Amino acid sequence: MDTFVQLTLNGLTLGSVYALIALGYSLVYGILKLLNFAHGDVFMVGSFIGFGVLQLLGGATDPVLPLWPLLIVITVSAMAGCAVLGVVIERFAYRPLRDAPRIAPLISALGVSFFLAYSMQVLFGAEQRDYDAFSLDNGKLFLSGFDIGNVRVPLLRIVIIVAAFLLMIVLWLLVTRTRTGKAMKATSYDREAAAMMGIDIDRVIVVAFVLGSALAGAAGVLFALRAPTFPAIGFLAGLKGFTAAVIGGIGSVPGAMAGGLILGFAEAYTQGYISTKWSDLLVFVILIGFMIFRPQGLFGRPDIKKV
Amino acid sequence: MKRRLAVLAALSTLVVAALASTAGTGTAATDASQAVSCSKRLKVAMITPVTGGGGFIGQEQVTWAKFAVKNLAKKTYGLNVQLVVGDTPVEKGPGEALVVAQKFIADQSVVAIIGPATSGGVASASQALAAAGLAHISPSATRTSLTKGSKLEATKFFFRVVPGDYIQGPTDANYMVDKLKADKVVLVDFQEPYSVGLADAAEAVLKRKGVSTTRLSTSVNTTDFSSLVTRVPSDADVVFFPTQQPADAQTFGTQMREQGKRAVMFGGDGANSPSAFKIPGSYVSNFAPDISGIPTSRALIAGWQKDNPSLKLGSFGPPSYLAVQVALNAIKRACTAGKGQIKDRKDVFRNVKRIRVNPSILGGTFRFSTKSNDPLNAKFYIFQIQSDGSYKLVS
Amino acid sequence: MSGFDHDDRHQQGSPSEPQPGARKASEAEAPTSPAVGRDEWVARHGERRARRGGVLGTLEERLAVVPWWVWLTLFVAAACTVPLFSESGYVRRVAFDTVVFMLLALGLNVVVGWGGLLDLGYVAFFGIGAYAYALLASDKYDIHVPTIALIPLVALIGGIAGWLVGLPSRRLTGDYLAIVTLFFFQVFLTATNNGDDVFGRNLTNGPNGILDVDVFSFFGWSLPRVTSTGQFSVRYLYVALAIFGLVYVALRLLNDSRTGRAWRSLREDALAAEVMGMPVNTLKLMAFAFGASVAALTGSVAAALNGSVFPQNFEFPLLITVYTMVILGGAGSQVGVVLGAIIVSVLLEVLREPGDARGLFYLVILLALVGVFRPSLRLAIVLGGTAVLGFVAHLVAGRVDDAWTAGVAEDSGRIAGWVSDWVIVPTQLAGWVPAVSYVTLIALALGLTLVEGWRRVALLIPTLYLAAFVWENVLLDAPESTRYVVLGGLLVAMMIARPQGLLGEKRVEIV
Repeated sequence: MDTFVQLTLNGLTLGSVYALIALGYSLVYGILKLLNFAHGDVFMVGSFIGFGVLQLLGGATDPVLPLWPLLIVITVSAMAGCAVLGVVIERFAYRPLRDAPRIAPLISALGVSFFLAYSMQVLFGAEQRDYDAFSLDNGKLFLSGFDIGNVRVPLLRIVIIVAAFLLMIVLWLLVTRTRTGKAMKATSYDREAAAMMGIDIDRVIVVAFVLGSALAGAAGVLFALRAPTFPAIGFLAGLKGFTAAVIGGIGSVPGAMAGGLILGFAEAYTQGYISTKWSDLLVFVILIGFMIFRPQGLFGRPDIKKV
Repeated sequence: MKRRLAVLAALSTLVVAALASTAGTGTAATDASQAVSCSKRLKVAMITPVTGGGGFIGQEQVTWAKFAVKNLAKKTYGLNVQLVVGDTPVEKGPGEALVVAQKFIADQSVVAIIGPATSGGVASASQALAAAGLAHISPSATRTSLTKGSKLEATKFFFRVVPGDYIQGPTDANYMVDKLKADKVVLVDFQEPYSVGLADAAEAVLKRKGVSTTRLSTSVNTTDFSSLVTRVPSDADVVFFPTQQPADAQTFGTQMREQGKRAVMFGGDGANSPSAFKIPGSYVSNFAPDISGIPTSRALIAGWQKDNPSLKLGSFGPPSYLAVQVALNAIKRACTAGKGQIKDRKDVFRNVKRIRVNPSILGGTFRFSTKSNDPLNAKFYIFQIQSDGSYKLVS
Repeated sequence: MSGFDHDDRHQQGSPSEPQPGARKASEAEAPTSPAVGRDEWVARHGERRARRGGVLGTLEERLAVVPWWVWLTLFVAAACTVPLFSESGYVRRVAFDTVVFMLLALGLNVVVGWGGLLDLGYVAFFGIGAYAYALLASDKYDIHVPTIALIPLVALIGGIAGWLVGLPSRRLTGDYLAIVTLFFFQVFLTATNNGDDVFGRNLTNGPNGILDVDVFSFFGWSLPRVTSTGQFSVRYLYVALAIFGLVYVALRLLNDSRTGRAWRSLREDALAAEVMGMPVNTLKLMAFAFGASVAALTGSVAAALNGSVFPQNFEFPLLITVYTMVILGGAGSQVGVVLGAIIVSVLLEVLREPGDARGLFYLVILLALVGVFRPSLRLAIVLGGTAVLGFVAHLVAGRVDDAWTAGVAEDSGRIAGWVSDWVIVPTQLAGWVPAVSYVTLIALALGLTLVEGWRRVALLIPTLYLAAFVWENVLLDAPESTRYVVLGGLLVAMMIARPQGLLGEKRVEIV
């Protein structure tokens, strides 16, 4: 029982990070029908921005700010940095290709992903960077918290889960309740019709990139608070987020959240109960099965071809 | 369409120019029969991952090798030596070592190789290097089967200045059983050659001694270990964690504390980094005692630190210094014997085995064993991490 | 050049609304009176060709008379003479690797260029081929299948694997296929990496790979992979070239066949093709299987030469590299992808060596400038301005502190001496300088695409100097990462500036 609770907690923590990444994929896909392969690398850049800001503020052992303001400053700067990055990527790598054959922006995205990952490696080296969050307030983030049975729910996990869900709720409100959100929805149904209705398509797309990339930046920091980051992690994180988005139905916002959590749980339970060695393989095989039998995902609409 | 032709013309010019430049450097250097004069610039080539996931290993090794050349070549051995580096990112697989090796084989001014850094690289490149008569001295390839066993994976031209897993695995396992009185040990490997080899070596000894073992395995790119930690039984005594990334060991340790596991962490030489792995009460093994306690080595560390102010001392660097020292020494002897020239790269190889280094940067006298090309009397040292994060030698 | 691939020009659908990238071409070819009942594009084909005048046009027409197989023979023959020019085992090895890349590019071209499918698992088939060869010709299971039988067998295995992976594409289109193949790629990597313990049995030796793979041997003649001096054995280059020739011809004939035409129509508009009664799924599967089969065949050559196979040989960067080759050369054109493979492969090798990489960098910049501005006043201003800016900056920096300009080592190449008088290369960089200068350079370069006319010229001067600074101080320090930065940048730039690649034909998607 304790094992189950602990694994569920692991899955929830990891899953909420995956969900944040998946949201970025889904937002962009919903509007542009573009698999933004560079999204994982935006996540990676976000975790590095967080690392850099933390070092500027004195590092984990001797920070100039108290714990909570410090965490907020790190997260917000990573989100802002990533939002700018997302806009730049969209403006220079995707916008010129908006009317090109579908394969063109995909390849451009692969190029951007590669460029970002190896640029970071040129500048900062390949080694792992550890936030050393354990040193903040003498391990308070890891050791204090509340208990479920014999399982301790540490503060940091609460922070990650709560922050992730807060961000998702804010996004949900933005997408469903604001004019911009409605414009996004209209654009995702039919871009040309939306443009004819007077919706500024460019602006909508930029907003999607800003939101998606900011979430990736937040995810980068939340992830790196628990585990080290390195330039090559972008590809893996991207793969996970992308998988989550696909499970949920790519293009669907609630789908991305659900997909992230499902993926997190799937990983935690297979590692915990079946095999640590084969968990990646199991997850991918399940996914391929998913793709074959329900390609539109859990929440996605089946792709109806219009002629 | 004109444009297309123009582009084509420009590109062919480029390709021809590029080919010419590579071809030029190639031919100039490969007059196969020619002896190399020791008064000219000689090259020592290093084969190691400088970029990619294992890039930190090579980067550390290269800074130390550069420092060794700068410190020793002119002053001690009177040689004009340039260090050249061939990168073998772990992502491209061990086969890349062969590609890089063939590049160096073609360059007659390369007279000795430092590396390949990884055991897989040694296995894939050793035959070609041997055919070229090039001694290759690795500062970090520790797989047992390279030098021992019925089917050797490396040739006799391969040397290593650090002992292999056949010492480290048993040393660590014995310490767990004898000193830590462990009954239940969890071993984690990262699905890459270094950690699989070391975990296998330790597991074999533990099983023989009747310890109950659990083997966990995860991808080398994983950095969140929470579900692996959950798999660690609450009554496990030791977690053996042969990673090459000290930050991983730190993360695993933190996550064990988070989940209230009481098992003690035990890392191999790859986890040895006081700046990154600092979970109090954990153990780390290393092929060298604490070299900052040896006066001669301390001076060398200070010299290296001056050239690389932003870097921290790790465990891959000092053996690279030693490997370069052995190579330079052998080159010098070959030059002396050949009256100012190296007629054949094999002359360098023949001298390697005879080298003694005293004092070695790793402490004591260094020499090769007569039976295999491993260091003589090498042993592994075990450190315990103190509550202030410092490493204390315990065995 | 055109003799090789002029048939590819028929691969066009009719132009619909002009695309931003294609605007120039469409304007020039604005239809005067649309003819009913025939393909506008094909009908006007001869007209467009005739318009190409001048010496080049005549030359091209003359060249086009020579059939493609003559060009192919000439090319292979020329490649066979590479060893005559260079004794160096290294150059020969690079030539061999280039041929391997050419084969991979040809195979990927079938899937991406002809089939129009985005296959992100392509490298896995290369791996399957290499593993199949290694398992069936090594001491691992003590099986030693004769080479002459094994090579076709491996190609067949690859083809079947491609067929199986392609099967889901019956239900999947476009992006979803990319996803499935990407997952398949991961499954392949995980499986080979963990193959040392499948329910306690060691199938693939896991991360330690399979060593002692057999060399090629034909009718009792075995081909050792290294010469007696440890050099690369040039015979593998000839074997690879022979295989390349065969594969090229086979694919060329395939493309000229009914299947090839069907692929083209499928790629241009799958829906229309389906309506016309084409077996769309079977065609897709065939493209997949043929591509996979070529990749697997290539895998066996690589495994035999290297003598070992490791899971890490088949990672993501290789996939991107092959994609860059196909995209750069021009997806759809066989000549194009071969040219792309040669360029990228040589580029990657040159970038390995800082001295050569430096030379290449300045050469490319110079050529690009000449290409953009042609010999003109602007070109003179840009070149002169950059040079002057450099010398002034260098002089000022040198006056302030000697250490700022003392960084270039004396032995790092021919151009190094000249560079050290011009670019500021400090002995030690402050920690923030690389990141700031690099990001500024990217910002400036991106900014260049936004401004026009004299402003662009003015902005170009500092950009060029900063580029030289970053190249010397940051990128040349990490040549391996730089190689991939260049590839990534190249992919994006190609897609935007010339999506059809060097020799491909512009594609117009019917919306």
